[in-house]
Amino acid sequence: MAEVLRALRLYVMLQRASARGAMQYRMNTVIGILSGAIWQGTGFAFIWVVMHTFPSLAGWGLAEIAFLYGLRLTAHALAMIPLMSVNDIHWVVRNGEFDRFLLRPLNPLVQLMGNRMGIAQFGDLIVGVTLLAVAGRNAAVQWNVWLIAFCFIAIVGGALIEAAFFLALCSLSLRMVDTFALRVFVDDIFSKFGSYPMKIFGGAVEWLLTFVVPVAFVAYVPSSVVLGKLDGPWALVAPLLGVVLIVLAYLIWRRQLDHYQSVGH
Amino acid sequence: MTRIGFRLALAYRSNIIMTCVALVAQVFLLRMIWTSVYGSRPAAAGLTLDALLAYLTLANLQAFVTHTIVSRIIHDRIRTGMVFFDLARPVGYLRQMAGFQAGNTLGGLLLLAPVIPVVLLVGSITVPVNGAGYVITLVLGYVIAVQLALLISLIGFWTMEIGAVSLLYRLVSQFFAGTMVPLAFFPGFLGVVAEILPFKYMGYVPAAVYVGHISDISGPVVVELAWIAGLWGLLVLTWSRAHRRVVIQGG
Amino acid sequence: MILVEGLTKVFRRPRTFSGPFGALRTLVTRQHEETTAVDDVSFGIDEGEVIGYLGPNGAGKSTTIKILTGILTPTSGTVEVNGLVPWRDRSANARNVGVVFGQRSQLWWDLPLIESLRLVGSLYDVPAPRFETSLKKLRDLLGLDAFLDTPVRQLSLGQRMRGDLAAAVLYEPPLLYLDEPTVGLDVLAKEAVREFIVETNRLGRTTVVLTTHDLADVEALCKRIILIDHGRVLFDGAIDALVNQPRRLVVLLESEPEEVRGVPRDAEGRYVFEIHDDLPGMIASIAAEHAIRDMSIQEPDLESVIKGIYTR
Repeated sequence: MAEVLRALRLYVMLQRASARGAMQYRMNTVIGILSGAIWQGTGFAFIWVVMHTFPSLAGWGLAEIAFLYGLRLTAHALAMIPLMSVNDIHWVVRNGEFDRFLLRPLNPLVQLMGNRMGIAQFGDLIVGVTLLAVAGRNAAVQWNVWLIAFCFIAIVGGALIEAAFFLALCSLSLRMVDTFALRVFVDDIFSKFGSYPMKIFGGAVEWLLTFVVPVAFVAYVPSSVVLGKLDGPWALVAPLLGVVLIVLAYLIWRRQLDHYQSVGH
Repeated sequence: MTRIGFRLALAYRSNIIMTCVALVAQVFLLRMIWTSVYGSRPAAAGLTLDALLAYLTLANLQAFVTHTIVSRIIHDRIRTGMVFFDLARPVGYLRQMAGFQAGNTLGGLLLLAPVIPVVLLVGSITVPVNGAGYVITLVLGYVIAVQLALLISLIGFWTMEIGAVSLLYRLVSQFFAGTMVPLAFFPGFLGVVAEILPFKYMGYVPAAVYVGHISDISGPVVVELAWIAGLWGLLVLTWSRAHRRVVIQGG
Repeated sequence: MILVEGLTKVFRRPRTFSGPFGALRTLVTRQHEETTAVDDVSFGIDEGEVIGYLGPNGAGKSTTIKILTGILTPTSGTVEVNGLVPWRDRSANARNVGVVFGQRSQLWWDLPLIESLRLVGSLYDVPAPRFETSLKKLRDLLGLDAFLDTPVRQLSLGQRMRGDLAAAVLYEPPLLYLDEPTVGLDVLAKEAVREFIVETNRLGRTTVVLTTHDLADVEALCKRIILIDHGRVLFDGAIDALVNQPRRLVVLLESEPEEVRGVPRDAEGRYVFEIHDDLPGMIASIAAEHAIRDMSIQEPDLESVIKGIYTR
């Protein structure tokens, strides 16, 4: 426990240091957040335009879809804000920076995460939380403390699921296998298919998105529970799955780390 | 330059292949969404579901084809100073860059070829209602796309940094090109804006001609030619300023 | 301090494929390429020693250092550093060692040097008072004051290297690995780095393992060297033993006989005599028999001795 707290304290310290460094490029930070927000904004604009003509998508109204979209986006932002610098892993391994992480008495993953924060993902977070707030008021939901608490747990669970896939793919770079293009694709699947009711995909794809790449559990299942479309017992599956997957992903990371071969002999 | 652009497209084929997979996923997603919202309705905004799906499939293929990377290349070459080699060549700078983009598009098309059947299978397509009209409007639309991309890139001669601007441009242009929703569905003010902007010629107009939603192409073609002429003038003017700036300041 | 026995590292790399699904094929392939970087290496280093660990590029130096620091796991053999197995007790081992890579800085590029040092202090859990005394000592020893508040990216190479040295010894590790610490530095900066290493070794009885291509570093700092090539130890012993060979007298003569006093003429027409005691007598007796055109005396030097060992 003391070790975890120490890692957390040092992570915050590294992150603050990188933020101080990045302050010299303040304009880039602002532009990064803005472009993140606009990117997600146009994504939702599509739904809004469609639902202007057709009020229902597989039985979901605009407010309900917006809630689903917001939930997924917020989970995505929470997953990527701390993990964004892990995206650079291939480069970090190649230029030997990773060696240095192994020479310091702190978990190398924590050091890698501390390299920089996901800036554009703050834009995602803003759009996601805004959508959640607006949609939460407009959808026919009887809010109470438990339901709000559940939303928080569900967001964290969704973030863990996405983070697990991301981390597992990144860890392959420790063995010089560049999975960048594959990560972009998986991220695409999560962001494109995760924001709609699974029902519209039907059959095999719905099954794939539920059991193979469990996109459904990031936002669809939790939103269905909140919106009263799915029974209570399903509620905890998503967060539990998130915990299981992130543990699994970390084990994969550890295993790949044991095979780390550094560069240049 | 054309050859370089072509080779670059082939060199990054693993990226392009991933983009192709993403394209298939996108078309599938759109098909499912639209099939779901149409439900049992026969038609909406003058489009049957079949025509709409054909439209979307085409529009997304077109978005892939009219995607321009010339801004990024120009930006890189300005930053690394390579631009001076380009300027030293006896062929006009803009023509070199346009040639580069054309080559890159050709390379992309070559790689896209095997994917097209998959896309058509996942999406859906009908026989073209007006094949010739489609090709004409699309080619003119492509010219507009390249002109706009060049214009955006020239900003780099003043600001040295166009990453954000070109990202923004890509998002806005794709949205208003009607890649995900036909312009006919755009409500009120948004519809007016989309009508005025030139982005519709890269996506909506050719695809709508194909599925027969637009039957008379003379109007669009005239407007497209007018855009091309106007943009050409603007490009020449902007370039002469940018060029002078490079010469005076030495980058 | 360090005990290495039978250390061997074989790199097994999956064959890399190119092409559309290259990454995937690389991932699942059973075909491997093997290279032996370190081959049955054994040595011991005592506390307080300064060792030159030398070898040409690709000899296995870096691989050994990476195993000793815990970055890599060896294929076979045992290593004990200060009572720990580096790759198994990575974190504990990290606190015992300071590492400087001449080619790569560990400092934070965009931050002032002082902030990098504070970060390193925190990462190694150095308590504030100890940090301050340590920093004060290093400021004097390395003359850091002039650039302590300058962002690292604006430092000269020599300044940056001094910053890196400070970061490596800030938490007072008993063991220091220096990988080409003087590469690319000018004469004065090299001198400063060497002085610092001598001082650190003297004051804290810090053990130093130094790899370098600059033999002047070795001559100035090390009493003992370990020479390695093709993954094997070629020589392990005192520099004195290597260098302690007789001086030589090189003579050019007007006439060029086949041999003079048992020494044959070499390819360049010179006669090389080993000098044992009576140099004036030796010259006089040669001059008595032949007309001398030119002559010089060669001191034995490390570079030619080492070159001799590699080519042996």
